[in-house]
Amino acid sequence: MSTFIERPKSSCALGGALTTLAGLNRVVPIVHAAGGCAAGLSGVYSTAAGYSGTGYCGGNMMPTTNIAENNVVFGGEDRLAEQIENTLFAMDGDLYVVVTGCQVEIIGDDAKAIARQYADKNVIGVSTPGFLGNTLRGYDAVVSALAEFVIAPQEKKDPKTVNILGVVPGHDVFYRGNLEEIKRLLWLIGVRANTFFSVTDTVEDIRGYGDAALSVVLAPNVGILPAEKIQDVHGTPYILSEIPVGPSGTAAFLRQVGAAVGADPKRIEEVIAFESGYYYSYLNGLVDTYSDLDFGRYAIISADGYYAHALTRFIANDFGWVPHLTTINDITEEADQARYKKLFDDITSETKPVVVFEQQAGQIIKHVRSSWALNHNEKYYDALAPAYVIGSGIDAGLAEKLGANFLAVPFPVSNRVVLNKGIAGFRGGLTLIEDLITQLVSAR
Amino acid sequence: MAKKIKQIAIYGKGGIGKSTTTSNLSAALSKLGFKVMQFGCDPKADSTNTLRDGSYIPTVLDTLREKGTAKASDIVFDGFNGIYCVEAGGPAPGVGCAGRGIITAVELFKQQKTFDDLDLDYVIYDVLGDVVCGGFAMPIREGIAQHVFTVSSGDFMSIYASNNLFKGIKKYSNSGGALLGGIIANSMNVGYAREIVDDFAAKTQTQIISHIPRSVTVTQCELKGKTVIEAAPDSEQAKVYTELAGRIAAHDNSKVPNPLELQELRDWAAGWSDKLLELETGTVVGGTAAGI
Repeated sequence: MSTFIERPKSSCALGGALTTLAGLNRVVPIVHAAGGCAAGLSGVYSTAAGYSGTGYCGGNMMPTTNIAENNVVFGGEDRLAEQIENTLFAMDGDLYVVVTGCQVEIIGDDAKAIARQYADKNVIGVSTPGFLGNTLRGYDAVVSALAEFVIAPQEKKDPKTVNILGVVPGHDVFYRGNLEEIKRLLWLIGVRANTFFSVTDTVEDIRGYGDAALSVVLAPNVGILPAEKIQDVHGTPYILSEIPVGPSGTAAFLRQVGAAVGADPKRIEEVIAFESGYYYSYLNGLVDTYSDLDFGRYAIISADGYYAHALTRFIANDFGWVPHLTTINDITEEADQARYKKLFDDITSETKPVVVFEQQAGQIIKHVRSSWALNHNEKYYDALAPAYVIGSGIDAGLAEKLGANFLAVPFPVSNRVVLNKGIAGFRGGLTLIEDLITQLVSAR
Repeated sequence: MAKKIKQIAIYGKGGIGKSTTTSNLSAALSKLGFKVMQFGCDPKADSTNTLRDGSYIPTVLDTLREKGTAKASDIVFDGFNGIYCVEAGGPAPGVGCAGRGIITAVELFKQQKTFDDLDLDYVIYDVLGDVVCGGFAMPIREGIAQHVFTVSSGDFMSIYASNNLFKGIKKYSNSGGALLGGIIANSMNVGYAREIVDDFAAKTQTQIISHIPRSVTVTQCELKGKTVIEAAPDSEQAKVYTELAGRIAAHDNSKVPNPLELQELRDWAAGWSDKLLELETGTVVGGTAAGI
């Protein structure tokens, strides 16, 4: 029997494509799909990603073919050509990206071929039907297309330039803040980062990304396909890394990337020392209150593969909370799960977290209960308290059931506004601590 | 209350003589005094040609595309002996979705209650080849046809297509869809072809409603753009089609077929291949009786 995902924490591939395009400056999507796909999916990410908005040309403004039954029966290619021309006439953009919904892919419209006819007007086509998979597959498709059609091939590589992949705009609610911090830190160790999605990145910048000597993928299950495409088309190899959150994760990240591009090890260690000093000097201020008011917590982390380990490591290795349970909602293949679980070998806390792969938000409470021994006449009865849930907005209900405090970090996040805030790097670690502890004192 | 219209869908592999059989059936039913509509469900839109002196009619989908709406008067055309002719039409080959086109066209008729308004006795759907997708199964879904007949020769690929159709019927039979009336065995001149089709009918627990011989009369009439019933009403072949029409008019008990699984079908075909080889090499006595 088929099953369903209860309260899913991602949208479809077209949704992923649209939120990815919304992260690119002056890029106009042209959605070849039935009415509703464009605005609906755009709305998901504008309101559930910390109210980040719909990008340069999103939401109700987004050009779409809005295909109807006639287009399904007779094919929608003419309608798409018409919409491309109308969009070129009406919308000012540096790049126009045709993306497709399920209906037109089922009937076999060749949207990419139609887009190719307008290649001289900066139009490219990407196949992104919803049934391709979740949000992450939409990101993969769009960034692979950028690699193939937008990034200009360059023979000469700059050994100290890297592409940052796997940070999905909107799906990582903190993507821009994160990318800025990553860019800043890599700059300090003498490495230039091509980030695609920061507020200052332009299409012209992206055209120049062909000089990168390395791609760095910051997620276990997204960004790898574009990294492979960049390797095929531009001869740039890639390494797998992780979104760095807090001091230990960020130090490991800087050493890994630095070694891969041959950055000066002495300089890397100086940067780590300086940034760590900065981090702890601020954290120092909180320590008295932390001890007096007993801010220690059992942490339950419910996240995607992108954040689950990164957050757990920060909570356990850096911040000193007890990592009780970590659930991951978007890694489903057994081999991938086994590989991902190995990442947790680096958790240095006395208590190791229970690591569970669970797609259903409503099942997490069961994992909490089965991971916590029931009372056997011990002194403390059922005392998984005080607990703290770090999860998506959907997991607020879990926190409520447990009587735990709660902070939304992984997508969807709709209970707070996120603008330039990031949780990556040393400074992001401080931001995360501010937000975590603010929840504990907010009733005062 | 409107009278119960008998709706019949006729399926079969492309080129097997579906449209020829359907048009002659419609013509024969009309001669028997029934009011008949023939509904072509093939993007080629040539099902009803021989009912209209070889001429094409505007299709439902072309009309919808051009005008945005389609009224009965735009898409229902008179044919031989007052038969109403309709062609669903469809996209050009290689684009769009012909299956969805069939659904669109059939639903339009349901919505507009055209069948009731025309006071029909029979609607006969002539449906393209294999049941390749849900669209081509539309006529056998609940509330459309009650009876399905498949046109098949003794050719294996034609039987394969029929078997696929049986699978479709079986699937929809659980939800009130059409049931199988039987097989119209076409091009029945060589004896073994008849045996093969008869054997397939027995295996799948269905019946042969009629054996139709291959006839040059059909070709002659089609070249004139007419059915046999119209152009050669006194011919032997016209009698065959009239008999078929009589049987279909009397038929009211369709059943769920028992399609063969793919391996079963292959084994069955391989068995026949061996038998035919034996016939050819003279191993089996009685070749003349078998039509060799």
